[in-house]
Amino acid sequence: MNRQKSSPRFRFVGAAALLVLLALLAPALREGDQRLYLLAGGVTGVMLLCMIVPARLFSLDRLILSLALYLGAVGILSLAPANPDAALMQLLRCSVGVVALIIGAMIIRIITPSMLTAGISSFLGLLFLAGSLLVRDLPFSLTEAALILMVISFSSLLACHSGTVALIPGLIGTVLLLLQGMTVEAFVLALTVLLLLWSADGRLGIVLAALSVFVAMFWGAERLGYLPALASAEEHSLSLSTLVSAGLFGSGEAAVLPESALPVSSLLYPLSENYGLVFTGLTLLLYLPLMLRGASVAGTARSRFHAVLALGCVLIFSLRIPAGLLAAFNVLPLPLTPLPLLTDSLPNLAAQMLTLGLLCGISSVNEADLAEDAHLAMLAK
Amino acid sequence: MFKVSPEIYKVISTTSRYLFAFFALMLLLFALVWLYDERRKRRERLRYLPEAGNIGEMVVISGSDQLPVDTWFPIPREGVLGSLRSCDLVVPCPGVRARHLAFSWQDGTGLIIKPFSGCETFVDGVSLLTAEKSDMPVMVHGSCLRVGSAVLRLQLLSALEHTNRPFAPAGSSQEYAGAFAAQQPQPGIPFPQESLFTDPRVPGYMEQPVPIEQQVPTEQPLGGSPADAASLPDFSPDSVAVPPVQAEQPPVQQAASRRKRADRWKEDFSE
Repeated sequence: MNRQKSSPRFRFVGAAALLVLLALLAPALREGDQRLYLLAGGVTGVMLLCMIVPARLFSLDRLILSLALYLGAVGILSLAPANPDAALMQLLRCSVGVVALIIGAMIIRIITPSMLTAGISSFLGLLFLAGSLLVRDLPFSLTEAALILMVISFSSLLACHSGTVALIPGLIGTVLLLLQGMTVEAFVLALTVLLLLWSADGRLGIVLAALSVFVAMFWGAERLGYLPALASAEEHSLSLSTLVSAGLFGSGEAAVLPESALPVSSLLYPLSENYGLVFTGLTLLLYLPLMLRGASVAGTARSRFHAVLALGCVLIFSLRIPAGLLAAFNVLPLPLTPLPLLTDSLPNLAAQMLTLGLLCGISSVNEADLAEDAHLAMLAK
Repeated sequence: MFKVSPEIYKVISTTSRYLFAFFALMLLLFALVWLYDERRKRRERLRYLPEAGNIGEMVVISGSDQLPVDTWFPIPREGVLGSLRSCDLVVPCPGVRARHLAFSWQDGTGLIIKPFSGCETFVDGVSLLTAEKSDMPVMVHGSCLRVGSAVLRLQLLSALEHTNRPFAPAGSSQEYAGAFAAQQPQPGIPFPQESLFTDPRVPGYMEQPVPIEQQVPTEQPLGGSPADAASLPDFSPDSVAVPPVQAEQPPVQQAASRRKRADRWKEDFSE
């Protein structure tokens, strides 16, 4: 008999589902908690269902979708042993995130590079940033969503006009972020805009001029006292000790971290506490195929708008990872920021899923274009 | 609900700590293999589609020392033409600015040219800087583009002529008369005498004689004698521009639209 060779997709999906199931069943066996059994069945089932049905219904990129779902499930795993209620809430957040991902994939088929697209996305992005500036005690953060909107606006303007016009919303957005004291987010936006300008416009003079403007902005913000003091040593030592306290393979006990041990809404700390540094490190390495896939989608996009937008999404998503890790491991005295998809903030999670949805949509458009090219090639023969 | 004794749980917990790390390693490897596998499949697919992503090519009719005649560029669906190396179409000729014009392909219309501010550009002899917006010419098969001292001719992929997208030049072909009369005519690809379609499953297809008035004139191959040069067909824009589809012309083979969703479902389930 011929043995059917399984595809890498089936192997990944199967292993991910099995890992999530076992990781949720293990604490359930100890506690006998009904919520943990519910989570074990629910998370695995929802993950498998979402990896199959939306991917087929909406022609989503399966690698990006599977990685996003797995990283979302890891967020639930990190909370489940110590706090099943928080894990259930995280499951609901992830479900909203999946909806946002599908919306992102649908949006990409609707929007076209035009002044209308640029105007609406710029307006909403700047409104979100200005709203956060005016209402300081807002219970949720809209910064992630604003960054995505700024990237859409930048891509649309760059596709319709030259790079100098496209720079304007990016500059205003950076100023608003600096006024709020969000150094990391401002840095991510500025670096994204510069790299996109360099890759899409290519004129060294424009890029250097933009770079000097951004440097002047950061220098001015620092002079005027808008940049907050860098993270304190106590905060860093606390986060570092939380990360390494469970050792390489975890303590085997459900770790209940005190509120003070979680300076930000990052799930990196409970993940490391429950499963150890090796599991956490290997999970974080899964960002690498996600970024590579995103870069591949950007490189194969046919239209300038899609290419710039995909590259912007990848940059916005991936530039947060080194910033978060460098801060968590006390390499740089940066403010601690949650890693993408490993956060318990609903707006941030939804915005990050929306970013991945945009990438899935662009990948779907690329596949359709390639299929049409194959059709034309067949006609030409 | 079911739960195990602390002793058994201790064994499970100790095992699972290493098992989860092993699973995480496997997942990372599977993801990288999946990524590599998809890239390999895409590369193999593109090997059979060398023109994927392109709509045709630009052939240099008049260039410079750095851009010899008969050089051809593949044309993507959209991009920027200029003398800068980062442009999609690099035309290093006098009079061509670093970023001279942007072009984009529009189905059913042709290649739309948008020159940047102050960049003189001619399409089939019509200046785009002075042309009315409503009469802005677009490039179709055989159209000539002049930027600086370079003259480029657009040749669309033959498959695009098989689609149901009508290509009609924006202006009358009489407007182009004399615009590039001084150019050296470039012989095109010889049209084969025998039928290209030799599929035995379609007996008699393309074997019926085509009426004289519908036959495509056979062109001379490259490198003919001087005597043959006189008999070369006229490639002035008048004759090169593709006329609108007429009713008496043979029906163009209709291209199927993009794949239907049902087809994709079939492919998915076939996995």
